[in-house]
Amino acid sequence: MRKKLLSLVLATTMMFSLVACGTEKEPQNNGTTNDSEKENTNNSKDSDTITIWAWDESFNIPAANAAAEVYKKEHADVTVNVVTMAQDDIVAKLNTALSSGTYNGLPDIVLIEDYRIQGYLTAYPDEFADLSSIVSASDFAAYKTGVNQVDGKIYGVPFDSGVAALFYRKDIIEEAGYQEKDMQDLTWEKYIEIGKAVKEKCNVDWLTLDPSDLGQIRMMMQSAGAWYTDADGNVNIKDNEALAAAIKVYKDLMDAGFVKQVSDWNQFVGSFNNGDVASVFTGCWIAPSVKNAEDQSGKWAVASFPRMSNVSNSVNASSIGGAGWYVLKNVGHEKTAVDFLGKTFGSNADLMHQLGDEISLIPTLNAASDYSKKDDYFGGQDVAADLIGWTAKVPTVNYGQNTYAIEDIMTEALQEILNGADIKKTLASYHETIKAAIAQ
Amino acid sequence: MKEKAQSRAWAFIAPSVILILVFVFYPMIQAFVTSFQTGIGANLKFHGIANYQRLLTDGTFKKALWNTFIFLIVQVPIMIILALIISSMLNDKNLKCKGLFRTAIFLPCVTSLVSYSIIFKSLFATDGFINALLMKLNLISSPITWITDPFWAKVLIIIAITWRWTGYNMVFYLAGLQGIDESIYEAADLDGVNAFQKFRYIVLPLLKPIILFTTINSTIGTLQLFDEPMNITNGGPANATITISMYIYNLLFKYQPNFGYAAAVSYVIVVLIVILSMIQLKVGDDKNEK
Amino acid sequence: MRSKIARFFMYVFLTIVSFVSVFPLLWMIIASTNKSVDVTKGTLLPGTYFMENLRAVLNSNLGYVNSFKNSFIIAVVTTILAMLVSSAAGYAFGVYKSKFKNITFTIILLSMMVPFAALMVPLFRLFSKFNSIPVLNLVALNTSGSVVIIAIATAFLIFFFRQNTATFPKDLIEASRLDGLSEYGIFFRIYMPSMKSTYAAAIVVTFMSSWNNYLWPLIALQSEEKRTLPLIISAMGSSYTPDYGMMMTAIVISTIPTALIFFLMQKQFVAGMTGSVKG
Repeated sequence: MRKKLLSLVLATTMMFSLVACGTEKEPQNNGTTNDSEKENTNNSKDSDTITIWAWDESFNIPAANAAAEVYKKEHADVTVNVVTMAQDDIVAKLNTALSSGTYNGLPDIVLIEDYRIQGYLTAYPDEFADLSSIVSASDFAAYKTGVNQVDGKIYGVPFDSGVAALFYRKDIIEEAGYQEKDMQDLTWEKYIEIGKAVKEKCNVDWLTLDPSDLGQIRMMMQSAGAWYTDADGNVNIKDNEALAAAIKVYKDLMDAGFVKQVSDWNQFVGSFNNGDVASVFTGCWIAPSVKNAEDQSGKWAVASFPRMSNVSNSVNASSIGGAGWYVLKNVGHEKTAVDFLGKTFGSNADLMHQLGDEISLIPTLNAASDYSKKDDYFGGQDVAADLIGWTAKVPTVNYGQNTYAIEDIMTEALQEILNGADIKKTLASYHETIKAAIAQ
Repeated sequence: MKEKAQSRAWAFIAPSVILILVFVFYPMIQAFVTSFQTGIGANLKFHGIANYQRLLTDGTFKKALWNTFIFLIVQVPIMIILALIISSMLNDKNLKCKGLFRTAIFLPCVTSLVSYSIIFKSLFATDGFINALLMKLNLISSPITWITDPFWAKVLIIIAITWRWTGYNMVFYLAGLQGIDESIYEAADLDGVNAFQKFRYIVLPLLKPIILFTTINSTIGTLQLFDEPMNITNGGPANATITISMYIYNLLFKYQPNFGYAAAVSYVIVVLIVILSMIQLKVGDDKNEK
Repeated sequence: MRSKIARFFMYVFLTIVSFVSVFPLLWMIIASTNKSVDVTKGTLLPGTYFMENLRAVLNSNLGYVNSFKNSFIIAVVTTILAMLVSSAAGYAFGVYKSKFKNITFTIILLSMMVPFAALMVPLFRLFSKFNSIPVLNLVALNTSGSVVIIAIATAFLIFFFRQNTATFPKDLIEASRLDGLSEYGIFFRIYMPSMKSTYAAAIVVTFMSSWNNYLWPLIALQSEEKRTLPLIISAMGSSYTPDYGMMMTAIVISTIPTALIFFLMQKQFVAGMTGSVKG
C-alpha cells in the first residue's frame, strides 16, 4: 500500500514536470531570470554581497581574501564571498550556466586564465563587463593587456605575472665549472652546453620534459612574440619561424641525453625537490614549490629565460600561465564588483606589496613594480625585483581562442618530429589539419 | 489473475519509466536537436548535418574512435574473465579469509582516481618500480616507456582500467553465484568433476544473465571511458590514448565550447553502443528466455 | 594431492591480486601521514604528519566536514530510493514478461548509452525551470534533491535486477498467489528477502557511484555549503603548489564510507544462502 502511494506521488510529480516543461518553456525561463535579477538589485541597496570564484588555496584565494579585507575597510556594508574551485570546474560551470542564460549561483567576479579569456569573450560576448573605466593598458605590464581586450575595450584586471625564468642549482653548475654570471641572459645553445657539462661532471640530469605538455615550446615561441595564431586569429603554423625554432630547441634538448622525462605535476615537482635535476625553466609561480625542499636552501638561483639565438626578435623573457579577474555583468552586482576590482587589484600597489610578502606574488601592476624582496633561499638574490624586471620585457602576444585545441593536435606533430620527421614539412602538413579542426 | 498481475506490473515500472523519460530522454532529445546546430558558446544556429559531415574529416575524432575501440575489444574480455575466475575462487566454501580477499579486491574501485593515477604514473615511470622489476626478472632488456610510447600508453590504460574495475564486476558475480544451489556443487564433487569443468558446465551457464549484464555494462563503460586517459596519460602521447568521451569533454570545456559538435560526437557513441548492445542482447538473451 | 597444490596456488594467486589491489590505497594512507614535500619525493615510509594533515583538512575554509555530511545524506537517500524504485522495475521486467514490456525495457536500456557530458547542458536548462514550481522546487538546482532525483531510476540498476530475477523461481510466485498474497506482497515479502545478495551488490555500487558522482553535482550544486566531497577534493588539487599530504588525508577519509559499506554488505555473499531461504 505504501508502495502504491509512493509510486502515485512520484508519477504525478513527474507528469506535472513534463507538462511544465512542455508548455511553459521559454517564458518560464525568462521569468525566473528576471525575478532573480530583481531580487539581486533589491539586495544591493542596503547590503551587497559579491562572490568571487578562483582556484589555488595557496595563491589566488589568499589574494582574493586580502583584497576583500582591504575593500571592507572602506565599504563595511559589502560582504565578499570567496569560493575555491578547481580551474576546470570553474570552466565547466561557467560554460553550462552562461550557455543556458542562467545566472543563479554564478559569481560576480571570476578568475580566468590568460590562455582562455579570448575564447570566453567571443563565445559569450554580452556576459562580461567592460572594465575600461577602471583599467587602462598603460597601468599594467604590456603583455598582460594584450590578451584581455576585444575591439579596444578592456574586460579584465590583470593579476599575477606568469613570467618565465630559469631556476638552477648554483652548487651544481659551479661543480661543473660554471659561474653565476655564465647563467645570465643565456641562449639555448649555451644552456645545452652547460647541461652537458653538468650531466658529464656531476651525473645529474639537467631538466625535466613532459612530451605531452607543450608549455616549454609555448614559452620559447612567446619569447619571440609569436603564437600558434597571428594577431587576427589566423592559424600560424606553416611559416612560423619562431615555432619551428622552438621545436628544434625542444628536440635538441630531448636528444642531448640530460632530460628526465616526467608525466605529471607530482613527478615534475618531485624531480627537483629530490635533487634529480639541476634546472627548471617555467613560470615564476614554481618558486614556492622549489622552496618546499628546505634541505636545498641557498643552493638555488634564478636567471632570465634563455632566448633563441637564430630568431632575431627572441628576447630573454617570456611567460606561462597567469590569469586575470573578470566581472560577470548579468549576475546582478556589476557596479559593486567593478568598484571592488578598481580599488583593489586594479590600482592598489600596497595590496600588491602585501601579497608579494605573503604569497610571493609577482605583480603586473606598474605602480607596484618597485617591489623587491631578497630571498635567502636563493642566496639572498632579489628574486622579486628580477622577475618584475623580466615581466616588463615579455613580448605581447594575443593568445586567441584556440590555444588548447591547437596544442592537442600539435602534440602529434611534435611526436612525429621527435621521431625524426622534418620540422618544416611536418608543420606545413599540420597547418591544414589545424585550420580544419578549429573552423567553427 | 494474470491480467491483474500484468496491470500491477506497470505500477512497478511506472516510477522508473517516468523518471528516466524526464531526466534522460528529454535531455537526450534536446542534445539530438543541438547536434544539428553549429556555433560557439551561446551563439548556436541550425546548420543541417554540418556537424556530422565534419566528423568524417576530423582526425582527432577518428583517433579517439579507434583508441576507444581498441580499449573495448582488448580490455572488456580480459576483465570479465578475470572477474569470473576470481569470484568463483572466492565462492569456494572452504576458502579461508574470504572477507579479507573480497574486500581487498573490491578496494580499487573505491580508491580515489587522483591518488591512484599519481601512483600508477610513478610505478610505470621509465625509471619506476615496474620497469625495475621487469628488468630484474630479465623479462625486458631496456626500460619500457609506458607513458610516452603510443603502444605502451594504451597498454597502461588497459592495465589501469582492469585494475580498477575487476573487483567491481566481481561483486555482481559474487551476488549472482548465490543463486546457485550448493547441492549442485556437491553432486559434481561426488562425480569427480574438476574445478575447470565445474566452472565451465555449472558456473558459466547459471551466471549467463549476469555475464550479459556485466558485458553490456562494461562495453558502455569503456565506450564512455574518460577518467583513466584524462588522469593517467592526459590522452597522450600525441592523442594515442584519447577517447571519445574525453574528446567530447574537450570540445565542451577545454576548447571553445562547441555544444553542437560535441552532441554530434556523442550520438556517434550512442549509435555504436546501441548496435553493440543489441548484438550482445541477441546473443546472450536467447537462451535464458524460457 | 593435486587439489592441495591447486589450493596452494589459489591462495598465492589471491594474495598477489589482493596485494596489487590494495597497494595504491596503502600508498595513499602512507602519504596521508607525510608532509607534502615528502609525498612528491615519493617516500614509502609512514610519517608522523597525519595529525597536522588532518587538522589542515578540517581547518581549511573549504568546509570538509560539511561536504562530507552532504555527500553522506545524498548517498544514503539515493541508495534507499533507488533500491525501491529501480528494483521494482527490474523485478517487473523480469517476472511479468510481455512483448510491450520488453520493448519498454530495451528503450530504457538506451538511456544508459548517452555520455553524460552530452546531457549536462540540456539537463541543467531543465532543472533551472524547477525553482518556481511547487514540489519540483524540492529538486531544483542547488538542492541535494537535484542530485538524488536523477540517480533513483537508472537503467543500470533496472537491468541488474532484471537479470538477477532470472534466477528467482517462478513457481514461488505462483505458490504465493495461491496463498492469497497480493502482487505487492510477493515483491516485498518474498522477492526482497530472498534476493539479499542481489540487493547487497546493488547497494554497494549505488552508494559508491553516488558517493563519487562528480559532473552533475558540480553543475547542479551552486552554493558553497551544498558542495559534495568530490568537488571539495577537486578544489584542493587545483594549485601550483598543492598540499599532497593534506589532499591524501582528505581522500583517505572520504574512502572509508564506501569501503565500510562493502565490508558490511559482503557478508551477504554467502554461498547457498538463497537456497536455504527458498527451501
